[in-house]
Amino acid sequence: MLVFAASDKGGTGRSVTSANLAYRRALAGDEVCYLDFDFGSPTAAAVFGIPRVLDGFGHQGLHSYLWGTTDEPARIDVWASTERKTLRNRPSGSGRLVLLPADRDGGEFVTDDESLHRCVDLFLRLNAEFDVIVVDLSAGRSYAMDMVLRATSRPELRSVPARWLIYHRWTPQHVTAAADLVSGIVKAGADMGHEEEALAGAIRFVRAAVPAVGSPLLSQVPSTTARWMRAYDEKLDVMAANRGIGKTRVLGSVPLEPVLLICEQLITDEDVNGSRIANKATWQALVELSERLTDDAYWGQP
Amino acid sequence: MDATGETPRHVLTCGEVRTGLLPTRHCLDGRDAARLLALRTDEQVRVSERPNLHARSPDVLTGVDCRLPTANDAKIRAIGTVAARAVLTEGRVLQATAYFSAPAAGLDQRQPWGYYLVRPGVLVPLGRLPEQAVAAGFLARDRSAVPSGELGLGSIAEGLLGQLSRHPLLDHDVPFKSRRTRLRWAALPVQDSADASIERFTLDDDGLRTIELRLPQSTEPAAVAGLCEDLALHDWLLTTVVQKLDGIRMGAAEGAAVMNVVRPLVDHLLHLWMPSARVDRTLSPLWEVLETEPGFTRQWQTLVQRIRDQLTLQAIAAPAEASTAP
Repeated sequence: MLVFAASDKGGTGRSVTSANLAYRRALAGDEVCYLDFDFGSPTAAAVFGIPRVLDGFGHQGLHSYLWGTTDEPARIDVWASTERKTLRNRPSGSGRLVLLPADRDGGEFVTDDESLHRCVDLFLRLNAEFDVIVVDLSAGRSYAMDMVLRATSRPELRSVPARWLIYHRWTPQHVTAAADLVSGIVKAGADMGHEEEALAGAIRFVRAAVPAVGSPLLSQVPSTTARWMRAYDEKLDVMAANRGIGKTRVLGSVPLEPVLLICEQLITDEDVNGSRIANKATWQALVELSERLTDDAYWGQP
Repeated sequence: MDATGETPRHVLTCGEVRTGLLPTRHCLDGRDAARLLALRTDEQVRVSERPNLHARSPDVLTGVDCRLPTANDAKIRAIGTVAARAVLTEGRVLQATAYFSAPAAGLDQRQPWGYYLVRPGVLVPLGRLPEQAVAAGFLARDRSAVPSGELGLGSIAEGLLGQLSRHPLLDHDVPFKSRRTRLRWAALPVQDSADASIERFTLDDDGLRTIELRLPQSTEPAAVAGLCEDLALHDWLLTTVVQKLDGIRMGAAEGAAVMNVVRPLVDHLLHLWMPSARVDRTLSPLWEVLETEPGFTRQWQTLVQRIRDQLTLQAIAAPAEASTAP
């Protein structure tokens, strides 16, 4: 299954949350790979605790592969390469977790027919090997997004299930921007030959950095603020529903979480139960999202 | 090279074979296998049904003018064509091989293309070929990337697999997920009419295998490719079944989870084991070496027994579960 992670703007925690979902799926036993298609600012390597990812590899990242200067994009086994000690003990029964990094100095680039071809080949090849293929796109519309839309419209990839996660923050501006982004995706996809309804049905939203009243982080806010927040939350719900991104199209919400916002790292069970630097609610949200990601009951209807 | 333009016999044959599950739900029958592998209009796909279903594409040629890898960084330029072919076993396991052979020496200057085109699958060096250094360079395991300008057999084989994967016969709905393996091989001539031998056979974690062979000089390059395809196929079967069984938490996993892993192996892989079914008779003694050490078939039989034991246990457990159900 291909999972495309997109966001309306930056700052939604798209990369770090998607990396956590990939990690959770691998823990659950799936064979998982994570493709850093955020070509302008690749960060996935840092999230997995592999900052020196391309040292010694030269130009062998996804940029080089799509440009045609290498035939084998570099693959990093996260369990074996991460610098985070708690991640290095791969639990028995877990699946592989493989990162395909972007070139460090690659930058955003215009894609052409050749790169499209190579993108299709890459997806086909990874699909034979992995249960879940997470593709992290940059914020907003990008060349990479158009390329994957085009790739998934090709007959070769039609039987490979593809799902889209749209990350957005829980503010009026973000709700509007996310709704606009999705209508743009569906329209562009339809022009490329996607069936509009099927594509729309494969898109779900993830509300990120949602400040939940009553959460430990906000337990000290005055009652007037709390009341106002609840009322505003309801207003946003109505607004989101009016823009077509109401509750039925939401896969989950991730609470405001310092570990995600500040360190941008994987949240392990140890972070929640041992050192307790991350909140249990965040952990639960990530577990829930990762389960729903592959649960057909949450997908299908636009 | 002699004055008549005849190429002397090759002193080096190298290749790389990539092996993986055919990316489609059901295995292909002989006719569809032939359609898939029809890479050329002027030459037929060879399909044989005994002792198992096996289809082999005609060779396709890729013209190259490039450096050859060497263990001592000597700069060796060679020109000619690399041959590539695909084979499909029981309509289920797809392999692509790219290979070439090279004579001990060539002319000092590049010749017109026609000269190379009449020598399909031969790379002619400019000057003398240090065959030992090239074989060692080719098999070097730390070559994570092929430097630009250097021969990349892997990418030719990969390109062929990519082309075949886009064929409309394939639905990409695989019965189980599996990894590909790469087997890189090099064959040098035996010394003083000694017997054919396997000098080295290595396995790497990331799916790369290397094998160095010593063979009589009269051995046809295509026969070496056939031997290595057979080795790669059986190594892939072992690797894949081991990985699948390792993925099961033995004892802890529920019956359905075990069956989800075991069932596709029974459906698609267990009947594929047939070492040396099509290997050239002069080369089949090499298989016997591998049967003694590390013992391919011995390990396979153990795996098959494990799978059958799991099935038996599930069969015993199933009625018990049914009778306790409300």
